Order: sequence, then structure tokens, then C-alpha cells
Amino acid sequence: MAVFADLDLRAGSDLKALRGLVENAAHLGYSVVAINHVVEFKEKKQEIEKPVAVSELFTTLPMVQGKSRPIKVLTRLTIIVSDPSHCNVLVACTHLDVDLVCITVTEKLPFYFKRPPINVAVDRGVCFELVYSPAIKDSTMRRYTISNALNLMQVCKGKNVIISSAAERPLEIRGPYDVANLGLLFGLSESDAKAAVSTNCRAALLHGETRKTAFGIISTVKKPRPSEADEDSLPACKKAKCEG
Amino acid sequence: MATLRRLREVPRHLLVCEKSNFGHDKSRHRHLVETHYHNYRVSFLIPECGILSKELKNLVMETGPYYFVKNLPLHELITQEFINTFVKKGSCYALTHNTNIDEDNTVALLPNGKLILSLDKDTYEETGLQGRPSQYSGRKVMKFIVSIDLMDLSFNPNSKKCERVSWSFKEKKPLKFDFLLAWHHTGAEESTMMSYFSNYRIQELQPKIALSTVTELQCPVLRSGALRGEPEAACSAPELLDWLGAVFSRADLTNEPHSFVSTYCCPQPSTVVARAYLCTITGFILPEKICLLLEQLCHYFDEPKLAPWVTLSVQGFADSPVSWRENEHGFRKGGEHLYNFVIFNNQDYWLQMAVGANDDCPP
Repeated sequence: MAVFADLDLRAGSDLKALRGLVENAAHLGYSVVAINHVVEFKEKKQEIEKPVAVSELFTTLPMVQGKSRPIKVLTRLTIIVSDPSHCNVLVACTHLDVDLVCITVTEKLPFYFKRPPINVAVDRGVCFELVYSPAIKDSTMRRYTISNALNLMQVCKGKNVIISSAAERPLEIRGPYDVANLGLLFGLSESDAKAAVSTNCRAALLHGETRKTAFGIISTVKKPRPSEADEDSLPACKKAKCEG
Repeated sequence: MATLRRLREVPRHLLVCEKSNFGHDKSRHRHLVETHYHNYRVSFLIPECGILSKELKNLVMETGPYYFVKNLPLHELITQEFINTFVKKGSCYALTHNTNIDEDNTVALLPNGKLILSLDKDTYEETGLQGRPSQYSGRKVMKFIVSIDLMDLSFNPNSKKCERVSWSFKEKKPLKFDFLLAWHHTGAEESTMMSYFSNYRIQELQPKIALSTVTELQCPVLRSGALRGEPEAACSAPELLDWLGAVFSRADLTNEPHSFVSTYCCPQPSTVVARAYLCTITGFILPEKICLLLEQLCHYFDEPKLAPWVTLSVQGFADSPVSWRENEHGFRKGGEHLYNFVIFNNQDYWLQMAVGANDDCPP
């Protein structure tokens, strides 16, 4: 199995709260977290704020409880598109170059999931994300979360689903085994629920990394600049070739 | 609805209860204790006992040192020197520390010379060794088990297999872990673990021992012949195991109305004993020491005693890749694999073995 990951920690303006959140996540046993920056999609060109640099946040990353490794902190960008004419779920699943499609929980979904675009998304490696911290805060949200999640499960059968917290404060995050139990309420089976916190998160992260590569196999790395001494030796080689 | 049905299900667990007598030829008690390799906690309970006898106390205090090495590279465990010094001369046990079996790579060394590596997908593909997928994978196989026979490696040091394993551990993917080590030596030993691993940060640790006496304890009445209990006369084996857990967790056994934490009640029929002695030893404990403890507890009834029975419980490490022998052990919501002996005054015994969800049936 893969390590436990929480791919949605909301980045507020308060760095101290964020630090507390990451420390709490490490204490609960998460080995990987992603700090989520949310922006609304606007028609005109928009400036996206710079993500929080991890080195600014921590000089030494906190250790994951029960292991000898520090927690890994990543950053993530979420774009909210409210205009259905621009793109709807169907388009997002089939064409857009994204890793995760978030299922809103703040209201009852106005549309039903259809099987064909969901299957295309699963084949492409796009994961569906469910968040649980609104369910902790408010009982109406809890109802919407569960009903939206059950709708999704009926169509996708539990494949490629991840559960994350969308936590803004340290108290809103829950331990990985508890989240896996919550997955049972959302209609996942036991092993699918545990995969939703570990294996599928790893798959989503790898999907993101492969976007920079060619078909996920070849990647480019910036070569360090050679020093002056090496440059002198180059003409000598060239000479040798001409003579030979 | 499928979801509601799933929510009502209890996580899978297995409890195997058997009864026998220590004097019996075919009694498996020794074999089962010796093949449960990685033991984390040993506890025993003696009803009607105020102080421990000298022999028992000595045994408890000498459950032997175990060693903790930080950042030990894996190739150190496959060197000829290590195999000749420790694996061949006695029983050597090793287990990685601070690694979760369901998340990380875990390595265990069994006394029969097998090195078991439980690796996640990325590491398995990077080491280039041959293994098999774990039995408890979900939709996608994420865990692989590689088993290396060190005795085989030492007999053929120039074989292709040995070279490949060395190359993998030294060059291809050098893995380092924090290890818990223990060694039971047969015969006179010259070298010790402390001096062998002096290049690494090695510490010798003693197991933690907790001794206590409980007064006015409600104990269930048991009959050695009746494993399933008898209505109104004796309690069953699963009831006893529940009761034992409640006693060691210091839970209330009376189901008082103001108790918020526990509604557990001692199974009936029960008696009240004036005093009971509880002892818990926590550490990396050798099966050989547990065998000695078991024998000493059998000899407890050599002199007539008030107690009708005594119990000895052993819990395994939740993060060990094997439970009994080489049966694969996994962690779904809990990683328990434990066994419990109930020793009666006529040398009869009950043996209960319990495992959790991702485990094979105990032998």
C-alpha cells in the first residue's frame, strides 16, 4: 500500500495556522500533504498568487508520527469554474488536462453523473475528490456530502476516488484510518476506502508529474552548467575526431 | 442497500481455540510458541497470588536484552560474516522499527535464515529482485513480498542469485532501516551484537516490566474439558479472552450505571478472588524465553495452590510481515496477531490464537 496522503489543506493568509495544520497532519500519520490554493476562474487575464514556499513555512519539516521520515509538503492549485458554458463536468472529465475533479458538497448537485464521461475520466487517470471537513462543521453539508458521494459511487463504482480534508484549522483534520472509515459511509468498500487515502492519492500525484514528461516515460532534467576547466577539454576532443 | 449492509459488518477476525494437555505427545504448544517469531508483549495473570516465586521473578527479569540499530544498511545482513556468526549459531531475529506494514517497506529476519522483505511497488521495481505480490492487495497490487534464503546464499556464495542480491542491496537500491535485533545463542558465544555492529549506532535495551497486584477481582469459572463453556457451570474460551483483555486494560468489570467508558460485565458464573498478580513484559522478546516462562508456569501447580488456572498471553508486533511461520501478516484496520494459554492445575491447557483482517488462519 502507499503512504497516507491528504491532498487538500486550505491555504489561508495566516502562515502560523498553516504551520499548525501541517504539524497536526504529521502527528496524525499523514506522510504527504498538499497545500491547496483556490482561485476563481475569471474571463480576463488574472494574476494567480505565488504559492507558499515550503522553506518559508518550516526550517525543518515535522516528523511523521511512528516513522523516521519527515512529512512531504506539496502545493496544489484549484480552479473553480462557475459558468457552465465554459466547461462542465463532462468536458472536464474528457478533455481538460487536470488531475483531480472535485465534487462540491455545499449544495445538492444540479446534474447527475453519466457513466460514459466518468469512464473516460477513469481511463485517463483523472481522480474524483470528496472533501469531508464541511461535513464536520455543519449538518446540512453532511447530508449533501453523503448524498453527492453516493451518487458518484453508483456510477464510478469506487474507482479513482480520493477523500481529503479541505481543512483550514488543525481541528478539522482527521486521522487516516478514521477517514478510511468515513469512506465506508460514502459507499466505498473497505479496501477501496483505504485506497482512497493512500493508493489513489499516489496515483493522482504521479499523474500530475507525468504531465511534464512524454507519455510518463521520458523526462528532462536541467543539466548543471559545466565549469571553465571542462570547456578547455572540448576542443581537444573535436580535434581528435577530425584526425581519426 | 449495499452500503448499509457493509456498515453493519464487523471487521473480519478469526479466533481459533483448542485444548490439550502438556503431557500429551502430540501437543503443539512448543511448536506454536517457537514459530511465532516477533513478540511485542508477554503478560501473565495468576489468581490468588500476592508475590511471585523466586524462579518466576528471575525469569521475568532475564527476558534478555534486545538491540536497536539505527540506519543499518540491508547488505550488512547478507554478508557471509553475519550469517556465520549469528544466523548459523543459534536463532537470530530482526525486525525493522518505525515502519508501518501497510505503508512502508518492512524487513524481517526469521531464525530459519529467511530474510523477508515486504516492499511497496516503487521499491520492489527498483531493487530488481524476484518476489510475489502480497495476498492482501486491493484493486491494484501495491505490495510485494521478497523472500531470500540466507542459508542458501551462504552455501553457494558465488551463485548468480547471491551476486544479484548483493548487487541489488549494495548498488542498485541501497536500503537502510532502523532494526530491532535479538539473538538466542546456542553454546559459548564469542562475539556479541554490540561489538559486531559497533560501526553503527547500536543500543542494548532491556524489556520494560510492569508488575502489579489487583484485589477483589471477579474471575470467570472455567472447566478444562469444556472449551465452549457449560450453561450455569463454566464460561467459554472466547468469554475468557474478552475478560482477560478487560482486566489488562484496567476496565471496570461491573457495568456500573455511572461508568461512561465501559459497559463490560464479567461473564457468569464467576467468583471473586482476593488478590491476583499481573505482569506485563514489553520489548522484542525471544520465543525461547517465552517457552521457558510457559514451562515455569506449568510448574506453578507442582505444589497445591488455590488458583484454578493461570494465563499467559503473547501479542505480536502489528507491523511484522509474518505472523506464524511464514504466513503473511497485513494491517487493515488493526494488525493484531496474538495467542493466549490458559494453564489448568491438572496440566490441561487451552490455547487461543487470534488474528485480524489481513491474515491467514493460524496454524
